[in-house]
Amino acid sequence: MAFARWLKKLAPIVLVLVLLVSACTAAPNKYDQVQSETTGRNAPAAVAKEAEQGSTFNQFFPDSQGEYEVIPAQEKKGFAEYKLNQGSTTIAMLSINDTTSVPAAAAKYADATETVAGYPMVNQGAMATGLLINDRYQVKVLSRSPSFTQADRVEWLQKFDLSGIAQLQGAATPVVPGPAAKAQPLTVPPGAPQAPVLVPQPAS
Amino acid sequence: MSTKFYERVDKLPKGGLTVMALKSLDTFLPGQWDNLVGFDHTIEKVTGETDPAMVQAIAERAIALFNDKSQGYQRALWLYETVDSASGLLGTAALANRIGQDTFLGFLKNVTPKPEKAQTIDLCVKLVTEVVAFCQINGIPGDSLGDFLRALGDYSGESLVRMTALVSFDGIIPLGADFSSKALKAIKGMGPSELESNRTFKGVAKEIPGKDSKGKLAFITESFESTQGWMDKLVASQGITQSKLLDNVSGFVEGSQGKLDYLGAFLDMYVKYYEHTGVQTLARRLIERAVAEI
Repeated sequence: MAFARWLKKLAPIVLVLVLLVSACTAAPNKYDQVQSETTGRNAPAAVAKEAEQGSTFNQFFPDSQGEYEVIPAQEKKGFAEYKLNQGSTTIAMLSINDTTSVPAAAAKYADATETVAGYPMVNQGAMATGLLINDRYQVKVLSRSPSFTQADRVEWLQKFDLSGIAQLQGAATPVVPGPAAKAQPLTVPPGAPQAPVLVPQPAS
Repeated sequence: MSTKFYERVDKLPKGGLTVMALKSLDTFLPGQWDNLVGFDHTIEKVTGETDPAMVQAIAERAIALFNDKSQGYQRALWLYETVDSASGLLGTAALANRIGQDTFLGFLKNVTPKPEKAQTIDLCVKLVTEVVAFCQINGIPGDSLGDFLRALGDYSGESLVRMTALVSFDGIIPLGADFSSKALKAIKGMGPSELESNRTFKGVAKEIPGKDSKGKLAFITESFESTQGWMDKLVASQGITQSKLLDNVSGFVEGSQGKLDYLGAFLDMYVKYYEHTGVQTLARRLIERAVAEI
């Protein structure tokens, strides 16, 4: 009986200890909120359905020149990215993305005070400079080396085919349905070897 | 329960056999690999951004991208995890209780080395896994096969150390200096049924292109053939040899000299380099995309 009495007294203490310990181990992470917002059945897609195919953007990137080599890095729906290498060092990244999937990315240009080639330009964080075309396509240059300055970024932004990007109609412009709205076939150079055998289906 | 990718990066080990094995390759790749651990830390190192609000914005976009199944990142993670655990199953049961307290000599009593054929299949399947995971993560960048191979050839950081580990631990140590031609010859003379009975293949088979084992074998052979030159160049340019590898590895696996076959099996079981560096590669690519898109 004495044992049972002890147990009664001890139980709340043990319970408190257990709760304390488990509360400590399950400390909330600052990313738990975005995790729960982006998982589960009703989670929004990270990439909008109507976003442009990444392959459409390839033609607008600058070519390698002199000691600078432009190397393909990523190509996903709504996004394409190239590395800018000097020797074996990546000094910057060059990217184009469709902000349909990330409206906040386009919104930041509303306050832009500068322009490049007539398009609104912003510096973002410490390493990136971007511009926005047709309120939709974001072109960015991101430094990967401190020696690649803001002025270098602006210079490389101008090496993109910006007017080419400005002519994009959007993958599925929902304005006038009909023959005119049909997406153009992708511009792959004729005779360029595709990679159908070596590579599997990419994620969309 | 969905994988919390940021926690995976936060919980990557800073030490242990896998990290020691990868660090032993530093002599071939001086300064190439920094064992980046921690999601925020990785964001800061990759992008150079340190402002907390900026880091948070990059992290949130990266997490959203990872959690969208259609983007392929989850499949890539699964591939990196599975190819490691499937290849390391050999003898694990016998040793389950000894991990952490075992010496290499103790280990010898409990395991038989993998036959050369199984080792060959492992090497080929792991290489193909890399190609498939690369495409899941990066898409097919550029407009041509040439562009794709250029992207693959520009491997650096943790991706380069993973490939160096592949040719070293799964190629040169168990199969010798001429591992690539040996493996290609073996895989060309192999039938689908031999492939089907290999554990590593079974682990990741559903993600390898090809409608049946025969088709998958053809894809594996072709991928291996296409990247053979790349692997041989990696070995030659970095001066990787069996004896140098053994010198490095004996620094953390005592008594391993002269026991090449067993050393291969030992590394196979305890060194999860695909998973470790795969998580790091995935984090880097997600972060690079996120910072560019926001």
